[in-house]
Amino acid sequence: MAAKTAAAVEKKEPTDSADTSVQSDKQTLLAVLQFLKKHNLKDTEDLLKQEAKVSDDDLKTEEDKKSEVSQALAVYKSDDDPSLYEDLYRNLKNFIDSCLDVHKVELSTILYPVFVHMYLELVYNGHEWNAWEFYSKFWQDQEEHRHPDLAILSSVRKRDHMDKNPMLSSFRSSAFILRMSRDSYTHLKRHLQEKRLSPLLTIIQDHLFIDVFDGVPRTQQQIQATGGALLGEVDKDANKAKVYYGLLKEPELNIPLEEEEEGQEGEEKPKKKKSKKDPLLMKKSKNDPNAPQPTRIPLPELKDQDKVEKTRAFREAMRRAKLDHSHMPSVCFYTFLNVYQGVTSVDISDDSSLLAAGFADGPIKVWTLTPGKLRAMKSPDDLEMIDKEADDVMERIFDDRTASDNKVLTGHSGAVYATSIGPHREHLLSCSEDGTIRLWSLHIWSNLVCYKGHNFPVWDVCFSPHGYYFASVGHDRTARVWATDHYQPLRIFAGHLADVDCCQFHPNSNYVATGSSDKTVRLWDMLTGSCVRIMAGHQGTVHCLKFSPDGRYLAAGGADCLVMLWDLSTGTAVAQMRGHTLTVYALCFSRDGTILASGGLDNSLKVWDIQKVLAEQDTEADTTVPSNISVNDSPSLLLATFSTKHTTVLGLHFTRRNLLLGCGPYSPPPAPVTPS
Amino acid sequence: MASEKESRFPSVLSSESIRVIGETIGVSGLADEAASFLAEDISYRLKLLVQEAEKLKQHGKRRKLLCSDMDAALQMKNVEPVYGHTNKDGFVPFRHASGGGREIFFTDEKEVDLQTVLTEQSSKLPIDVSIKAHWLSIDGVQPSLPENPPPASKDLQKQEILDTTLKASTARLHKRAHPEVGKHKHHHHHKHKDTVKLKNLTTHELSVEQQYYYKEITESCVGPDELKRSEALQSLQQDPGLHQMLPRFIAFASEGVKINVVQNNLALLIYLMRMVKSLLDNQTIYLDKYLHDLLPTVMTCVVSRQLCLRPDMDNHWALRDFAARLVAQICRNYSNNTNNVQARVTKKFSKAIQSETAALATQYGAIAGLGELGPEVIKSCLLPYICMLGDRIKSANEGSALNSIDKIAAEHIKKQLMKYLPNVLKSFHNSTETVDEFNVAYGYLGHMMYSMFLQKEKNLTSSTSSVHTLATPRSLQLTQRPAQIVIQQPPSTPGAASSSFLSGTSSLAPVTPRPLSSLPSLPSTPTGVSAQKFVIVSQARPSTPAATSLTSTSVMKLVSQPPTPITPTNSITTSQKFVVIQGGPKSDETSSSTIRTNIVTGMSLPSSIQPPTSTTSNITGKESL
Repeated sequence: MAAKTAAAVEKKEPTDSADTSVQSDKQTLLAVLQFLKKHNLKDTEDLLKQEAKVSDDDLKTEEDKKSEVSQALAVYKSDDDPSLYEDLYRNLKNFIDSCLDVHKVELSTILYPVFVHMYLELVYNGHEWNAWEFYSKFWQDQEEHRHPDLAILSSVRKRDHMDKNPMLSSFRSSAFILRMSRDSYTHLKRHLQEKRLSPLLTIIQDHLFIDVFDGVPRTQQQIQATGGALLGEVDKDANKAKVYYGLLKEPELNIPLEEEEEGQEGEEKPKKKKSKKDPLLMKKSKNDPNAPQPTRIPLPELKDQDKVEKTRAFREAMRRAKLDHSHMPSVCFYTFLNVYQGVTSVDISDDSSLLAAGFADGPIKVWTLTPGKLRAMKSPDDLEMIDKEADDVMERIFDDRTASDNKVLTGHSGAVYATSIGPHREHLLSCSEDGTIRLWSLHIWSNLVCYKGHNFPVWDVCFSPHGYYFASVGHDRTARVWATDHYQPLRIFAGHLADVDCCQFHPNSNYVATGSSDKTVRLWDMLTGSCVRIMAGHQGTVHCLKFSPDGRYLAAGGADCLVMLWDLSTGTAVAQMRGHTLTVYALCFSRDGTILASGGLDNSLKVWDIQKVLAEQDTEADTTVPSNISVNDSPSLLLATFSTKHTTVLGLHFTRRNLLLGCGPYSPPPAPVTPS
Repeated sequence: MASEKESRFPSVLSSESIRVIGETIGVSGLADEAASFLAEDISYRLKLLVQEAEKLKQHGKRRKLLCSDMDAALQMKNVEPVYGHTNKDGFVPFRHASGGGREIFFTDEKEVDLQTVLTEQSSKLPIDVSIKAHWLSIDGVQPSLPENPPPASKDLQKQEILDTTLKASTARLHKRAHPEVGKHKHHHHHKHKDTVKLKNLTTHELSVEQQYYYKEITESCVGPDELKRSEALQSLQQDPGLHQMLPRFIAFASEGVKINVVQNNLALLIYLMRMVKSLLDNQTIYLDKYLHDLLPTVMTCVVSRQLCLRPDMDNHWALRDFAARLVAQICRNYSNNTNNVQARVTKKFSKAIQSETAALATQYGAIAGLGELGPEVIKSCLLPYICMLGDRIKSANEGSALNSIDKIAAEHIKKQLMKYLPNVLKSFHNSTETVDEFNVAYGYLGHMMYSMFLQKEKNLTSSTSSVHTLATPRSLQLTQRPAQIVIQQPPSTPGAASSSFLSGTSSLAPVTPRPLSSLPSLPSTPTGVSAQKFVIVSQARPSTPAATSLTSTSVMKLVSQPPTPITPTNSITTSQKFVVIQGGPKSDETSSSTIRTNIVTGMSLPSSIQPPTSTTSNITGKESL
């Protein structure tokens, strides 16, 4: 019972707006008090009340809130004639059709929310039959990407259904946000007032938030690039906070780079390298004004091993292939064969040496992509005998008898929806349908920690680029940030209106981006726990995210087959890339950020020209006026398409030398089924 | 009330099913109102469940919703899942049963006999998951590997032709992908011919491997090694990645024909036609773009005045037949309202037939060409000109005895007419008509036509065997065989001294001509042709030792051929399976009507070898007709 109450509270939380972390604490407290009261635990209740300094008034308001559902729904109460709605809606439609073309596009965005709320009003007042007639007459007029939402809407046919429906609760609790130019708005207002269309006016006043801006009306394409989310567009104030998108200053490496290289390479090469390398190092050591303070988020200290790793990464980066529209990448594709249960997730380690795949029946399999085998650590007794002072101690601790090409990690009881290999290749994180996140050791090949907290399927998990922290998102509509040594989350980000489907750490570890089924992408600040960016524009569930290497841009792909690119400095969409025919599941920027690769369910891998997007981006434009924002959706951004043979592209990864690795399961088309 | 509701809202469970479900858990006598209320509520909950399951499907990276998704969705809602349902093959076979006023859906479960399970051999263990690496792209170019899909699917090629805007855009893309290549190419074009630039936007760069492949294939196709040739032809027929090299292959064929027609090199023409056939049979390429090159090339081989050095001896007739079939195949596959290929081809052939001055060989080819296009074409384009043809044959036969070439041609035309006409005649005339009527209608050939017609009628009445219906003109193409196997040429016939340039190399043997005059001495088989099965009724045949050995190898080929994949479209047109049916001694009528099928072609398509099997028919008798 207690669990149920808690769950109810948790469920309610996310529906409220983002800045409720304080409030939610109080709510939890009140919920506990209520629970105590219900079970007649009077003494404990009083004690808690005293301790928490909660007055009875607070409790009362909470009790009122309990009936919040009926209250909130009551806004739909109206005594209007049900048959009137149809005429009203048609009237509005005709008015918009008769408008000038410049206004038509902006005004037509109002139709969808009006349609939804009219339907709900009809249902609430018990006019089932009218509601259904109204729905079936106009649902096809709505934009195609709204149809899945409408299907949910149409399943609601009774007042009883309305209270627990997750989608409706978001419609109820927040206003649908629209933006339009002042001209269009006055146009609409005049029409509504002239005709005295009172119910329509009430709906627009109660459930819609129209953000009026001074400027030219926007075009169809501009509206499309920002609308589409469950609740329309993003409030203009949501993206005002400053985001420190710059990269952290690279720590000074004690290991001399040049010497090592000279030892390895011949005599001539280092000279050439030097000139090439210098800008690379310069850039890193320069202080980026957009970078956060290095101590803004406490990061784990670098170990000697990490420094060696970083040196190696630098050296590899120097041999990086140049990629742009005239230098196309080479793609090495890893195909999973004999997959009976289905691969549900893949991840490739940053140094491209390990490939981890999660399967639908629970196991995780790790392959090595280099000639080096995977080995397990020796048993404690054997480790005792090792000379710990030896130089090759890291080599000695492994047992050669356990060497193999791949290792299996078993532990999850449901499909593994994401795997993430830590930056040091010591740990692997996985999340599953069973509601848990597990941390695995890649040294002893067994489970170390099981993080419980989501309770519902966890859709994605992602290590911070600096290790130690990780983020997870799930069906419970929250994103959580954890530290590997804490069994409870450090942060819970609530605000998405539906399942949160993917997450990604910013390269500077200060932010976490999440994509959701409410069709928005949000950026959360690790330090404050607040939502600093909301980006709408996708028209379907967002399934993958990727930050550009310089940290300024965020790419997202999803069920609407779109790949979008956002500028985090302003929170505006920069590019919209169309080309995929089915859900996009994988994205990856080249190491120099010039091109973006995307892949998905349509068995193809596409390469996009980001360099061109950035070159054509109008950085001078005043982004406070929505009609000034231009979104690049030219088809010429698509550089190439590589189709696979019935292989879904689930994972993409650029090696440090800019070789593109892709992977996915081979799934031959099923033989046509002949029902007997 | 319930029924009223159901009519109002689609996709709501019927209250009847609710009642049935209720009974299964012991709740009987559910009130109407309760049932309909439950039905609506349950439908709503089910929809919510499906939405959850949909999410699981998306995160499982699948395109199909599985039963396990529904189970997991139930679990997410804290409900015990329904165990036991699996959709192995992608669908759950719900069965419907009704009776006693009840309608029930259930899943069919078979009873399993444990004994048989135990005694059965244990099934194979599944193979473990493994990864395989391959190059999806090298510097932006997708290499032709078995792991990669063919460069351009047939649909895409088709689209490219139909949609000009797409073509331009892909060309642009292509150019951007290889700017250096594109630049180079353009530079090249500017230098030489400015006009090409307008037409040719796509660059056809071949990789080194492709160039090597092209060289190998073309050399094998026209080279002396028969084994290599059949391999090369098979590759052309089956390789999915030829799209890029297609222009070269087509150019090779058309240029080759141009040269070899002038030089009258029959063997090479045949090789080239076989190459074209293989390309036509390849299911992954779309040749529409190349028809302007391809059709004239093939047509040349049908109607050219002269195709070989000695028209009186060499069997160029077979080449004409073969090419005519190719023309028909092209028409069937590529004719549409825009290009009107069939109409244009028909017009060309008709012109040749109507012409007074055309060579008889040309007219022979035209007859073959029209004949292959089907009975409708024969009826409208060939029958009206039988009189004219008759006159020409008459003049050839009655003309100076020295002109043997014309005489042979005339005989061949007669045979050709016999091959195509009977079926058409059957639908055109009725049995009451007399010889005179035929003579009036068809002039010189009236008599022959009448006997043909009569035989056809007799065949129909005497037997209803499928053999006759199968002996349609179209199926004739299947009865080719290598001449050297079939013919034991008596030393006296002119064919024995068959063209020296062909017999010089043993590999060129397939084109050994078989003049008509050798027919009477032949053991021959009345054959019927079926596109279904591959039955060979072979008998010991009187033949020279050399011929026997050759035959046996041919049969081997026959046996080895069937595995080649034949898709439905081409099995109609060029099915390679046939039945050799042994004609009984009584079936004189049969044999004479089907003897037409026995015209030996000089081409040995590996699959269509038909050894002679019995010695029944009386050919001399027929020829006297």
